[in-house]
Amino acid sequence: MFSTAIMTQPTQNQVPIFPGLFECLDDGPHLIGSRCRDCGEVRFPVNSFCPQCCTETTDNIPLSQRGHLYSFTVQRFKPPPPYRGAEPFVPYGVGMIELPEGLRITSVLEESDPDKLRVGMEMKLVITKFFEKDGGHAVLSYKFKPAEATSPVEDTTRGEIGGSLP
Amino acid sequence: MREVFVLGVGVHPFGRFGEKDVIEIGREAVTSALNDAGLSWQQVGAAYCGTVFAGPMAGNKVLARVGLTGIPIMNLENACASGGSALRAAYQAIAGGFCDVTLAFGMEKMPRGFIEGNPNDWFAVMGLAVNPQYFALKARWHMANFGTTEEQLVRVSVKNHRNGALNPFAMYRKEMSYEDIAHSQMVNDPLRLLMLCAPNEGGAAVLLSTKEVAKRCSTKLIKLAAAVLDSPLYGTVEVPHISVSARVESPTVTMTAAQEAYKAAGIGPEDLNVVELQDTDSASEIIYSEELGLCARGEGGRLLDEGATEIGGRIPINPSGGLLSKGEPLGASALAQVAEVVWQLREEAGARQVKDARVGLTHVYGALGNCAVSVLQR
Repeated sequence: MFSTAIMTQPTQNQVPIFPGLFECLDDGPHLIGSRCRDCGEVRFPVNSFCPQCCTETTDNIPLSQRGHLYSFTVQRFKPPPPYRGAEPFVPYGVGMIELPEGLRITSVLEESDPDKLRVGMEMKLVITKFFEKDGGHAVLSYKFKPAEATSPVEDTTRGEIGGSLP
Repeated sequence: MREVFVLGVGVHPFGRFGEKDVIEIGREAVTSALNDAGLSWQQVGAAYCGTVFAGPMAGNKVLARVGLTGIPIMNLENACASGGSALRAAYQAIAGGFCDVTLAFGMEKMPRGFIEGNPNDWFAVMGLAVNPQYFALKARWHMANFGTTEEQLVRVSVKNHRNGALNPFAMYRKEMSYEDIAHSQMVNDPLRLLMLCAPNEGGAAVLLSTKEVAKRCSTKLIKLAAAVLDSPLYGTVEVPHISVSARVESPTVTMTAAQEAYKAAGIGPEDLNVVELQDTDSASEIIYSEELGLCARGEGGRLLDEGATEIGGRIPINPSGGLLSKGEPLGASALAQVAEVVWQLREEAGARQVKDARVGLTHVYGALGNCAVSVLQR
């Protein structure tokens, strides 16, 4: 059983964009989902209710770091408030990533060139600094990037988050 | 259940109207519907107002300018399906025997640009709450799986702008060339600026009644044979969504609402002569034409290629110009669709007239999967 207690430990300098979205385990970062004990359906983010069974029957589980790109687009203009991304605005990819647990997650992509994205390609999770909060806190969020032609997931991901993910 | 008929319709043009008050926009739509019906306000038994941006009690503010008659007034917010939700409520009041005449109306004066996200949603902060992103994700998936092409996306917009050029209530009222659209700014690949509808201002109103009242008022009886509102089942992709099941694939809310509407009206999609549907973007028109059953799944692009969706085609889609040409004032759009179909069935649609139109359908889709479908018959 995966414990919720270790999911949201705050650190001095880094906070997740929303508590409980992701967690760093021994093999690197994972998004955290809810799996229904009755029907087995998995959802992200965590929710105590299973929307298929309409019952409070879920357990929290770490989701796979790798999945496949189901569909994608590129965000070419700055989204309206409350968007807090880079200033000045930098276009970013948006994709649906199908994970082995049987769900598709909508995510910002590290790749923003549509010619380098194709439906079906393998993607992997990364956790990155999204913006700097007042007081110097780094706000972390999740992204997916093409998994091809890269070094093993543990090394790169650890490097990007400085090894101290909350 | 009693049969429900359309007594009158009214539309305030869609567009941008400077300092003009949204309440006045609503009032003009309501009085236009009353004039169309030849009815006095004292005869209306209940009113339902759909709006997202007009503020609290907006319906009461509009009707205070029409007359204070003590009737129940309900204000409904259901995103792009707000007007369709008001229609559903007004329909139920007649069908259920609570009133003999009801009003559904809606109006908006929307901020320019893309609709803002909820400040409390972390995914909006991350930049994942932009509506066209989700239209684009669906479009890309449709292209990858069914071979829908960018050229088809362009031609949906060409068609709707051509139709809208004939509609005095549309915002753009001008044709757009293939090149204009194909070279317009890329917004969310594969969707370009002129493949997306613009949020704007406008109003619309529909008066409903029993058959007895309708017979006294008009010789051109238009029956509202169905007015359905559904929310989604588990296992569908909505706007926006952060995760969806890859194992469970349920019928979409457009499919379920359409099936309920066909059943209530005792017809099938093959009986339709005219359709007004939610073309927030070019790909949505193709996808919804499939989900409404106008063609098989994956065949929406071919339906367009065959010319079937043109005025004069086998199943004209969006002869009004759709949201692409009219723009989309959320609370008014569904009711303006009803007005267009009513004009088509009465043979009052002028240069946009679909020949021998006897049965029509309207469809709106709102955020998180609010879907309203109506069937109208003469």
